[in-house]
Amino acid sequence: MKSINLKDNQFIQFHQKISFKFDGVKYFGYKGDTIASALLRNNINLVGRSFKYHRPRGIYTCGIEEPNALVQIISEYSEPNTRATIKKIYEGIEIESQNRWPSLENDFGIINNLFSPIFTAGFYYKTFMGPHKKFWKNLYEPLIRRAAGLGKPPKDFKGISNHIHHNVDVTIIGGGLNGLLAAKSFINSNYDVLLIDFEEQLGGIINNSNKISLIDNKEPKDWLKETIQEIEESKNVKILKNTLVTTYNYINHLIAIEDRFVGYKPIEGKVNSTLHKIRTGHTILCNGHIERFLSFQNNDLPGIMLSSSFEKYMCRYGLAPSKEPVIFSNNSNSNSLVYSLIKVGLKPKAYIDSRSGEEIEPNLFDLIRKNDVPLYTNSQIKGAFGNKKIEKILVEDSSGALNEIKCDCLCLSGGINPDVHLFTQSKGLLDWDEKDLTYKPSKPFQPTITLGSASGQFNFDNLNSDVNEKLKTFKVKKLDVKLELNTNTKYNIEKLWEVSPQKKSLWAKSFIDLQNDVTTKDIRQAITEGFDRIEHLKRYTTNSMGTDQGKISSINALGIVSDLLDKKVNEVGTTIYRPPYAPLSFSAIAGRNCYEFYDPERKSPIHSWHLKNGAIFEDVGQWKRPWYFQINKDETMHEAVQRESINVRENAGILDGSTLGKIEIKGEDALEFMNLIYTNSFTKMKQGSARYALMLGEDGMVKDDGIICKISDQHFIATTTTGGAATVLGCMEEYAQTEWPNLKVFMNSITEQYATFNISGPKTREIMKKAFPNINFSNEEFPFMTFQFHEFNGIPIRILRASFTGELGYEIYIPSNSAPKIWDNIQSVGKEFGLASYGTEAMHLLRAEKGYIIVGQDTDGSITPIDLGLSWMIGKSKKDFLGKRSLTRSDTIREDRKQLVGIIPSNKADKLEEGQHIILDKEIKSPVPMLGHITSCYYSSTLGHDFALAVIKNGHSMIGTKAYASTSSMSTTGVDIVKPVFYDEDNKRLVS
Amino acid sequence: MLIINCPYCGPRDQSEFSNGGEAHVKRPDGSKEIGDREWGEYVFIRANPKGLFYERWVHTHGCRKWFNCVRDTSTDEILVTYKLDEKKPNLNNFKSVVKTPSGEPEVGSGNFTVEK
Repeated sequence: MKSINLKDNQFIQFHQKISFKFDGVKYFGYKGDTIASALLRNNINLVGRSFKYHRPRGIYTCGIEEPNALVQIISEYSEPNTRATIKKIYEGIEIESQNRWPSLENDFGIINNLFSPIFTAGFYYKTFMGPHKKFWKNLYEPLIRRAAGLGKPPKDFKGISNHIHHNVDVTIIGGGLNGLLAAKSFINSNYDVLLIDFEEQLGGIINNSNKISLIDNKEPKDWLKETIQEIEESKNVKILKNTLVTTYNYINHLIAIEDRFVGYKPIEGKVNSTLHKIRTGHTILCNGHIERFLSFQNNDLPGIMLSSSFEKYMCRYGLAPSKEPVIFSNNSNSNSLVYSLIKVGLKPKAYIDSRSGEEIEPNLFDLIRKNDVPLYTNSQIKGAFGNKKIEKILVEDSSGALNEIKCDCLCLSGGINPDVHLFTQSKGLLDWDEKDLTYKPSKPFQPTITLGSASGQFNFDNLNSDVNEKLKTFKVKKLDVKLELNTNTKYNIEKLWEVSPQKKSLWAKSFIDLQNDVTTKDIRQAITEGFDRIEHLKRYTTNSMGTDQGKISSINALGIVSDLLDKKVNEVGTTIYRPPYAPLSFSAIAGRNCYEFYDPERKSPIHSWHLKNGAIFEDVGQWKRPWYFQINKDETMHEAVQRESINVRENAGILDGSTLGKIEIKGEDALEFMNLIYTNSFTKMKQGSARYALMLGEDGMVKDDGIICKISDQHFIATTTTGGAATVLGCMEEYAQTEWPNLKVFMNSITEQYATFNISGPKTREIMKKAFPNINFSNEEFPFMTFQFHEFNGIPIRILRASFTGELGYEIYIPSNSAPKIWDNIQSVGKEFGLASYGTEAMHLLRAEKGYIIVGQDTDGSITPIDLGLSWMIGKSKKDFLGKRSLTRSDTIREDRKQLVGIIPSNKADKLEEGQHIILDKEIKSPVPMLGHITSCYYSSTLGHDFALAVIKNGHSMIGTKAYASTSSMSTTGVDIVKPVFYDEDNKRLVS
Repeated sequence: MLIINCPYCGPRDQSEFSNGGEAHVKRPDGSKEIGDREWGEYVFIRANPKGLFYERWVHTHGCRKWFNCVRDTSTDEILVTYKLDEKKPNLNNFKSVVKTPSGEPEVGSGNFTVEK
């Protein structure tokens, strides 16, 4: 294909040469070129290999609808699947073709084309079934993934995007003729208007074709300049250029992506795209139409392109991709291409029209006759042939004779469709137009207005009245624009979806979806196999499931299906176009919500101390908690955890428990409210005492636990699990508002206001005495499960005597700002007693030794307090509390429910594993009845062996018996089922 | 994304709210005898109609107040929002758009009307 430059062009700066690399070779283009136009300028049309058959593919279109020319931008973090027809080149851009190996010219994968008769629709589903399940994962899938596909994923994630919100009255999508007219009528009205266009230059059809000769007796480009200036100077209309609306959500919520570096290399560290989130009163769709192609043998050869795209290259990029293209059409839309070619002194090599001579527009007829263009009416192209490019075509003329025409370029037009993607995204209804052979918007669901060809108005006759009528409700200026056309015709089309090949062959391919390599044969096969509903057919054949969503071909598929089923197209229906209109990158969607901003990181007031002291962190919800502390680099996690836990048992340890949820509950009816929320009864509880409490769901299952401190009947402080804080507060608020609005009670989160230190171990009392000399920590003055308020160096603190380790322990609550000071003080006075920090892992080990549960680890939303052996915590005399009635449901009183037990290996040297099943038989022979599973499992230095907590069926009555635990190596370990307490069963240490 | 009119704060984006399922489900009085079936229905059974539906929402990232609304589940349209202590509106006051035999509204359900 030999292209020529048409230097009389306002958009391409022919004085400014730009060098770029394609597959490692250096070429030149001009400022304003897209990758596609620059490649065509260098006579390159082979730009990629197809998805499945690895067939050579070229540039098919000149815009966003491109199915073929997808390239990898090496110079931009290797961005894959970029449409060459959109992306503008800049100095030094490096581009690579996709899906080929070792090179684009000689691609090994073309072997797929040879085997193509077996790669038909449903091939994968039918073929890769056996001989074993593992074959799919280990052999088939890796092979298919290697052979099929588009570009390679980029390695780095460097794109930065900002999100901007807009709130406007009217959004006009598309800045073509109708979009500009609509915007013009809103100038200086009381409406805030956003005009969005995908291109850098507004104008649409005015820039892309020679259809219009005069507007208001002015040259179209002059009119355009004046109109844009008028809009730009207005106070109420804002223009967003280089911005593509990808999504039309409910309640007129639009999402649009703006490319901020069109024609420039993105600067690292700068925002390269902006995601606009637009809430608008009305949406006016002026996004035009898309030309569709036609199916015949080898309609995918490089050198074939849509006729309006050819014209767009001429008008918009100053480039005729070929000097003498053949034109094949079934409609009047390609007339203007003939006019454009002749205008610049070129002429089509032949004009082939499926319509009869009478149907063809008289002025086109005259033009063709006057310029001696070979004309074939009532004719069809049976096939295109050539090696990696189109070389000749076979034309069947009206007499049925076959003519061979040599050519290097073929322009197709199968008719035009309104671009209904956004309209259907908005859930509007479409109607089939039998005359124009396309789906057109009919009934909108939202306040949506369609104008121009987007509404299916393919003629310009009613331009003014259409705009005026549809914008009537806004009471804006009325338009009176005079248009004169170069090809003064009404849109006319004859039905033609597919031309059957001349010779029947297993290898003859007429494509219906270029991007996904779907042929018309696949469509037939799917229907034969019973997939005759259009949504099924789409998924079975993958037709229109590529990233282009079949923009140039999906209507053709409907036409072919309707013919095959002998149904009308509107009976066949359409598949639904879903957002996004065109792919948008994850980095654009993520915006600034990535890395440390992806999810808020919450840190305790002591965090910087942990950092300095070798803490290895664990994520608990959003919190960063020290998992364990490494005293030197060689210490393993196991060593650290054992060291920390032994130290708590022998000396004393300190844990930063600041992440525990804390909720303050106050009010006249606080006591009654707490009695309703928790299982325990707080009525007889003394002021200044604390109680371990459970919270259930209405289904009777344990949802959360914590310690409740009763300051008075009107004032409580509850702690929750670290992860459950928000849920518990939400639950309290919900019941306070919805079920018991008569109770006067208020609750507030004080999690972040107070830091919490848990100190425990036999030497804790000495440390506390030394750290807080004015407080009496004796058993009499400060018994277990009581709390006291004190002041220390002017800082108000609350000390609670409680323990999660089974040792003597205190929890200190300190206002967060003063916490580091007191932490440091305790650390320094504790040194002589061997005080050491411990992390969450040692805490888990210590609590499991005592059989204390962790909600969410030992429970899973199907465990009642009775299952846990915690019936004593249920306030049986209370009339009501959350989930009370559920505890006596037939299901919750079953005896064979899973219940909490302890597990130790019968042979103490054996290891146990978390998550493994408890079973009755030593041999694993399927089916294996499962009793339950291990929920927590640790090695304990104190015990000298592994131990575990488990929930097993009828567990309480199985205590004292033997069973087996499965292992990850598919064998079993003999275990003893014991009470879930492994250490200090009499709680002597706790109350010492 | 929906716009929800919080009765306390006014219209806000859906992302500020959480859905709380069916509204006007009465919690049985715990001080009285409650049958297994009655309790089970309260805990586990909720209506799931296509069309008009009383629903609870909470303004989680706002005033944290619970309120009720009437939503058309087939079109997602929220027809009215009202405070918990307000009387529930009569559904006959609203036009349900569910028309076609399968219960799909003609417009807005995402399904095109196909002659059956």
